[in-house]
Amino acid sequence: MSLTSPTPTRTETLLSIRGLKVHFPVYGGVLRRKVGAVKAVDGIDLEVRRGETIGLVGESGSGKTTVGRAIINVLKPMYPDVELDGSIEVHSRDGLVQDVNGLGRARMNAFRPKIQMVFQDPFSSLNPRMTVAQLIGRPLELHTKLTRDERRERVESLLERVGLQRSYAERFPHEFSGGQRQRIGIARALSTRPEIIVADEPVSALDVSVQAQVVNLMQELARDFDLSYVFIAHDLSIVYHISDRIAVMYLGNVVEIGSAEQVYMRPRHPYTRALVSAVPHPDPKQRGRQRIRLEGDIPTPMNKPSGCGFRTRCPIAKASCADLPPEVQTVEVGHTVACPHWREMQ
Amino acid sequence: MSDSPQKPLSVFQRRWKKFKTMKRGWYSFQFLLWSFLLSFFLPLLVGSRAIVAEYEGELVFPVLADLQIPFKESLFPVSSGFLDARDFGFDQRGLVDWRVFQEREHLSGSDNWALLPPYPFGRFESLLGGPTLRDGRAPHPPNHYHWCGTDDRGRDVFARLVYGYRTSLLFGLTVVVFSYAIGTFLGALFGYFGGRFDIVGQRLVEIWSSLPFLYTVIIVAALLRPNLWMLVVILALFSWVGISYYIRGEFLREKSRDYVAASISVGEGRLSIMFRHILPNALTPIISFAPFALVGAISSLVSLDFLGFGLPAPTPSWGELVNQGLSNIYEWHLVAFPLSAMFITLLLVVFVGEAVREAFDPKPFSRLR
Repeated sequence: MSLTSPTPTRTETLLSIRGLKVHFPVYGGVLRRKVGAVKAVDGIDLEVRRGETIGLVGESGSGKTTVGRAIINVLKPMYPDVELDGSIEVHSRDGLVQDVNGLGRARMNAFRPKIQMVFQDPFSSLNPRMTVAQLIGRPLELHTKLTRDERRERVESLLERVGLQRSYAERFPHEFSGGQRQRIGIARALSTRPEIIVADEPVSALDVSVQAQVVNLMQELARDFDLSYVFIAHDLSIVYHISDRIAVMYLGNVVEIGSAEQVYMRPRHPYTRALVSAVPHPDPKQRGRQRIRLEGDIPTPMNKPSGCGFRTRCPIAKASCADLPPEVQTVEVGHTVACPHWREMQ
Repeated sequence: MSDSPQKPLSVFQRRWKKFKTMKRGWYSFQFLLWSFLLSFFLPLLVGSRAIVAEYEGELVFPVLADLQIPFKESLFPVSSGFLDARDFGFDQRGLVDWRVFQEREHLSGSDNWALLPPYPFGRFESLLGGPTLRDGRAPHPPNHYHWCGTDDRGRDVFARLVYGYRTSLLFGLTVVVFSYAIGTFLGALFGYFGGRFDIVGQRLVEIWSSLPFLYTVIIVAALLRPNLWMLVVILALFSWVGISYYIRGEFLREKSRDYVAASISVGEGRLSIMFRHILPNALTPIISFAPFALVGAISSLVSLDFLGFGLPAPTPSWGELVNQGLSNIYEWHLVAFPLSAMFITLLLVVFVGEAVREAFDPKPFSRLR
């Protein structure tokens, strides 16, 4: 399954994910034999180009966070049993190409600064025992040869860059609001001068008014630092706002991928259409428009339906959908959809 | 966020502040801390050796021999700093009796003098037949000179109690430090790495924890002559299991939090993640259980001494005194004083523990203040 496409602007590849699989084995019985696996990510292909923001959308349990954690390569250290497959190639600015999927500690260390993450929960992502200066300064201590004073200066200028006061460096995370903490998280991710930042629902824990500020800040930073984002979210309207391209995930697979315009305005996959039709609209005249309601819940990734994962909730499902994984079809240039029957959705 | 002018406080600093507001625990802590520090200078306060003495124009400091590291006490019960009595105007070779020396020189009106500790009786010396005891039959009830009487060998009970306090606290604290160090380290490893290592490790820990402590000590005591260090090691090896379970649980919980993922993603080393990032967030069980572990360790030493498997014979210990109280049950001072000393000490430690627990409790309980 290949869901790649050329972009109109820049075509330099930064991250190239091929056939990524992340399975968490499930043990049972007295002897703790493997009895199954949670197929959190089940074979996805994704390309991120330099300077671009790619939105990753899907409901809870679709595997989008796991993709993000696979990219920053923290799955193996956190869950030693995890089964990884496929490749995540990083094409760094200095010309190095490396598959970082499950890469060991020593060899990964050179690539750690290039790939950083902003976490969803601004409360648990900052160690409550450390001051802001320690939180942001620690990556610098590990990856640069800066002196203590130079590090301090960098920390303070980063704070300023994300819209916080320099004097906040001495404070502890519990003294900040959610939006401020998220800014600290962004400053930490920026500290190593990364090329790509995986933003895992960076605004979903924030108030709506603060969401806009943080999203705007991230867009500014992307311009200033030539960053690429993998922007993970379940809120389509924010993803549409920030992304150049959008990939829609369902049950560990990418079901549709295309430019933000293509996916949001002209969705083709039945699941994407349901998602888009569920976005609340500010215009009351639009209130009567038709919505596609999905029945039931997302199936458990431990026991996926055969063939197409979406067929149990799909309005146009056929008997043949249970047989084979859906073939990927090209709708137009740069817009592909993993459903052979998409033309029937009108 | 309030723009308060004062310096931001870390989590620990806020808890420390709260701990200080718990008066009962705070004063108990102060008393235990200062009395323990003071106990390293005990020979200056309680003991039979003169602090400083002048004989024939020469100054001597006999107490120096006694101000050795207290841990040595159990290894070499009798101090090696030997001053020959014949050099100080006595007829016979032996240790100088500084009380006699002071009395004699005072009566003779010579220039020689000796400054004795305020409570001038040693913890090892038998005072039978001495001028401060009216008859020669030990144990003696308390009198003006011997505040807590003497034991069945005519040794001063007060001196043995205060030196026993030092031994007990020192023993308890080192056992807690060692056992918590082992328990924290292993618990952290099991909790952080998890998986098969954890499952196998936990079964081994269960096997280890089923070894009977007392029998092991009895066997060791039968083969070797136990000293304080050996007892510390044995007890620490048997008491780390409990805290390792708590630390393992804390690590299992903390490991899944995002700040751990964040520190992995910046390339932090594994040991650094475990002990710099996670451990400070997993200290609650360590700090809140430590005072009660101290109570347990002190009680263990008392029990071992009581049973006779503890410290070697002349070492002053509470358990040995309690044992004497049992054999001389009608000598009230041999029962009351050691037991009260132990009771009060343990009670103060429990007060500290109670205040620490309270300081770490996010839901305040105003009753305890």
